Amino acid sequence: MMKQILLITDGGSNVGESPVTAAAQAYAEGITVNVAGVVDEGTIGEYGATEIADIARAGGGISQIVTSRQLSKTVQMMTRQTVAGTIRQAVNQELRQLFGVNDVGALPPPKRGEVVKVMEEMEETMSLSVALLIDASASMKPKLHAVEEAIRDLTLSLQARTGRSQVSVFHFPGDSQYSYCVMDAGWHSNASNLGSLFGKIRMRGTTPTGPALLQVVDYIRETCGKIGKIELMDEPHASGGGSSEVRSDNVV
Amino acid sequence: MLLAAGRARCGVTTSSEKETLARGTEIRGKWNGKVYRLERLLGLGSNGQVYLASTGPRVIFAIKIGHEAAELQGEVNILASLDRSEKGRQPFLLDVDDAVIDGRKIPFYVMRYVPGVPLKAYLKEHGSHWMGVIGYRLLERLSHLHEAGWVFGDIKSDNILVGEYGRVELVDYGGASAIGRSVRQFTEIYDRGYWSAGSRVADPAYDLFAVGLLWLHALDGKRLVQLTRTLIPQNRHPRELMKLVRSNPKLQPVEGWIEKALTGQFASTRESTKEWREAVRISQRPKPADDRVPGWMAGLLGAAIVLSTTLAAVWLLD
Repeated sequence: MMKQILLITDGGSNVGESPVTAAAQAYAEGITVNVAGVVDEGTIGEYGATEIADIARAGGGISQIVTSRQLSKTVQMMTRQTVAGTIRQAVNQELRQLFGVNDVGALPPPKRGEVVKVMEEMEETMSLSVALLIDASASMKPKLHAVEEAIRDLTLSLQARTGRSQVSVFHFPGDSQYSYCVMDAGWHSNASNLGSLFGKIRMRGTTPTGPALLQVVDYIRETCGKIGKIELMDEPHASGGGSSEVRSDNVV
Repeated sequence: MLLAAGRARCGVTTSSEKETLARGTEIRGKWNGKVYRLERLLGLGSNGQVYLASTGPRVIFAIKIGHEAAELQGEVNILASLDRSEKGRQPFLLDVDDAVIDGRKIPFYVMRYVPGVPLKAYLKEHGSHWMGVIGYRLLERLSHLHEAGWVFGDIKSDNILVGEYGRVELVDYGGASAIGRSVRQFTEIYDRGYWSAGSRVADPAYDLFAVGLLWLHALDGKRLVQLTRTLIPQNRHPRELMKLVRSNPKLQPVEGWIEKALTGQFASTRESTKEWREAVRISQRPKPADDRVPGWMAGLLGAAIVLSTTLAAVWLLD
């Protein structure tokens, strides 16, 4: 099973554990961390932008800074690219060990065709769990509609996969001083069962991104068990020139 | 404009992907040894650049240069599979190879060159009365594709090239999906899921939905874009689209067809093709005779009768 955390935020963390360390821990446990930075007015600030890129790098994933209009598409593409990237990496590793070639591209085209067929089959059929972690600090409030729509859109795309897919949703900070993050929806496979997600959130000022990430890692560990095959990965993946970019309109 | 938004890349584009190759650049295949000379850039695909290339005077091809071997190979697999499953037409895929340019290894494949302009540009230049022929040819093309087990997925003006006299060819098969799988690539406003009208599982009806939107977009683009800007997500529904269709005289002949496409009511793509032809044909039939006599002609006839009666009366009375 593939596991991903998708963090949606609009700025830097300011409480607790470093989110970069937290993401690195997630990745060590076989969970890829992607980050979507949402900025509608102004800029995200150098600190926020650097942190977003760092979290994704530490978490073996990709990051993008986009407007809320682009969020649905971005969330989908990040998820899809991460699935493809994870499989590509596992396959390349096998190829290195078995045949001593660097990657799929080093094979002659007819062989490459066969391998890619298997990779695409895996992309479509492997089970996939995506936990969405939403920054609900005060400045995110006007963007929560777009976030909710993006979650529904992602669920709709995942629903179309042949393999089992599920989505869970968390937001942070929590309601009390002692909870860093709150679960809005446990594992769901159907977009229509998600219900209203952020109806009663009380917006607060702090941004405990790191502690919230760790809490989601706990949840995934408890509900999804140990990681299987995909732990083959030994380095944060960067899929050629494409990792920093989200393309056209691909979906999972 | 909306198309541009639909294709917008959500982030930074790395410089190597933006750079285009100069005219005259030689692409030498590492495995098959064929040499192609780049003539000009034809377009930027979702994951590579497409050039017009030649191997000699008047021997031209389209060549797609990718960034990532595995991703490009995915497209090659689809094209190869289509060439196998759709026997009886010219093959698209002609060569697959790698080349080294400026020290970088780049994967590429070579296709048959399809001349033509995107659908919207064609209609603008030649007039919307070409809709009937183009729509029919497009549905014919999709019928073959669907019968071979594939769904095109990313139907939009840019991916539909129209040549002389409304001849249609689809391009960018990289987004095609096997029937029953998830749709690999789509453009938001053409997407059935976006309009709360169904899933993103690839089935023939997914393409037909997009064709319905294609015509609305081609002939009433401004109002469609406006609608997507103002509707809240919960209200996205085919009935909102139908309001636009019903109030546009250009779409009137195919109004019923579009409604069936948007609500997934066609049993097959063949059936939809037949109904398209019938709908367009009905609109071309001459109107009933009394409607067709222009007012001035009727007036003239009336005047002539009055005049001759008067003359007759005058003559008789005399």
